[in-house]
Amino acid sequence: MSDEEHHFESKADAGASKTYPQQAGAIRKNGYIVIKGRPCKVVEVSISKTGKHGHAKCHFVAIDIFNAKKLEDIVPSSHNCDVPHVNRTDYQLIDISEDGFVSLLTDNGNTKDDLRLPTDESLLTQIKDGFAEGKDLVVTVMSAMGEEQICALKDIGPKS
Amino acid sequence: MEGGAPAGEQRDRETLGAVRSVVFKPSISLEEKRFPRVAGYDFNRGLDLLGLLDSMSSTGFQASNLGDAIEVVNQMIDWRLSHETPAEDCSEEERNPAYRESVGCKIFLGFTSNLVSSGIREIIRFLVQHQMVEVLVTTAGGIEEDLIKCLAPTYKGDFSLPGAYLRSKGLNRIGNLLVPNDNYCKFEDWIMPILDQMLLEQTTENTVWTPSKVIARLGKEINVESSYLYWAYKNGVSVYCPALTDGSLGDMLYCHSVRNPGLLVDIVQDIRAMNGEAIHVGPRKTGVIILGGGLPKHHICNANMFRNGADYAVYINTAQEFDGSDSGAQPDEAISWGKIKGSAKTIKISQFRNEKVVNKLQQWVWATDLKWL
Repeated sequence: MSDEEHHFESKADAGASKTYPQQAGAIRKNGYIVIKGRPCKVVEVSISKTGKHGHAKCHFVAIDIFNAKKLEDIVPSSHNCDVPHVNRTDYQLIDISEDGFVSLLTDNGNTKDDLRLPTDESLLTQIKDGFAEGKDLVVTVMSAMGEEQICALKDIGPKS
Repeated sequence: MEGGAPAGEQRDRETLGAVRSVVFKPSISLEEKRFPRVAGYDFNRGLDLLGLLDSMSSTGFQASNLGDAIEVVNQMIDWRLSHETPAEDCSEEERNPAYRESVGCKIFLGFTSNLVSSGIREIIRFLVQHQMVEVLVTTAGGIEEDLIKCLAPTYKGDFSLPGAYLRSKGLNRIGNLLVPNDNYCKFEDWIMPILDQMLLEQTTENTVWTPSKVIARLGKEINVESSYLYWAYKNGVSVYCPALTDGSLGDMLYCHSVRNPGLLVDIVQDIRAMNGEAIHVGPRKTGVIILGGGLPKHHICNANMFRNGADYAVYINTAQEFDGSDSGAQPDEAISWGKIKGSAKTIKISQFRNEKVVNKLQQWVWATDLKWL
């Protein structure tokens, strides 16, 4: 049973690798791991030594970084796992469109309009309310494996 | 003593007479047919296995039970439908003497997994190879230990090897046998692709897996003549194991289900099949040979209950009945349930040995010299 199966979801990308391999035994709590093609953050690791169940195994419990679903995996500790490259970039919030897309200002002055509002309730309310009040907002966009999502919000405007 | 000598003598004679009539109570003569004479094997006859086994019945204690068990098993093997008078409502085919001569007893063999870890596995393989038994029932270990032995061997160790020490060396102890962790790693590497394939067949070909079908598939895949499961697959001998998950096999199913979920194993279908093995025998008799207790013992007896009991039963185990366990129950208890016929030929061979003295000695030996490992 190889873990090569997780490689089949290759995204059309500009060339940079979305994941890198790491030995399962080296992945720790709060690290990242790809489970069933999803980028996840590890919340629990337990290791069972070699025994009746075969090779020593790492039991991972992780949360999908985009949809917060709990995923589990059991990997022989000597096998390689895929670890996603997770990037965070800050953008200034320019506009929110009626159909739920945001307009963001990139570093080079262009706009980035392909991102939706986040699904997380509290974050969504914060953005909408803050924008409606005319605040200067900067959003942090987390990206991994070809997927992007707003994950945090900062108010950079003057304190009123 | 004082008093008249003749009166004292008279008293002594009476006392002696009374004692004699108690201690030397005349015995009845025993009829030889019901009470055979005790006589052991005479090795002046040379090394004769059959002669030795024949002498078991008259040797006494559990040897006699063994001799009786041999007799019961021989009856299982020898019985033919032609030995019985045809039933009034039986079919034309059933009346045919040649047909009746060809119909024999259906033999169920049950055994616990420790026996497969031991060299008894070779004997089980012989029986299955030559189709001398038709239905096997065992536990998960009884399946995996046979397969694992095809990948790597089990070793003889000692009952008193210290547990923590063995764990640190990656050795698992089964009684006085040792199975290295590495053997289970090899088993994992061997079985995972097979489980993947089985899941694929379930989803694409609508295959419904049951424990007995899984076992048949594993017997097919191992494809080695030293394996009894290989021969079971080859000869169409059904192997039932309702608790398939309770062993390394279960660990493999568990790990597999996390990485590649969805494999279903239907135990309901298998209980239909197992009970059917007893129910649909028609005019045949059934015999049960059960080595060990636990699940294999009960599962076989229970199935035979559906035909109002087995006709022959041989139990060989170390369990005792004082705790009310089914494992320790004598055949007569099964008769009360209808699992064995009241008219059946039955025997239980008990084995029990006080290990305390033996263990103390061995522990002293091990405490002084662990180096040899």
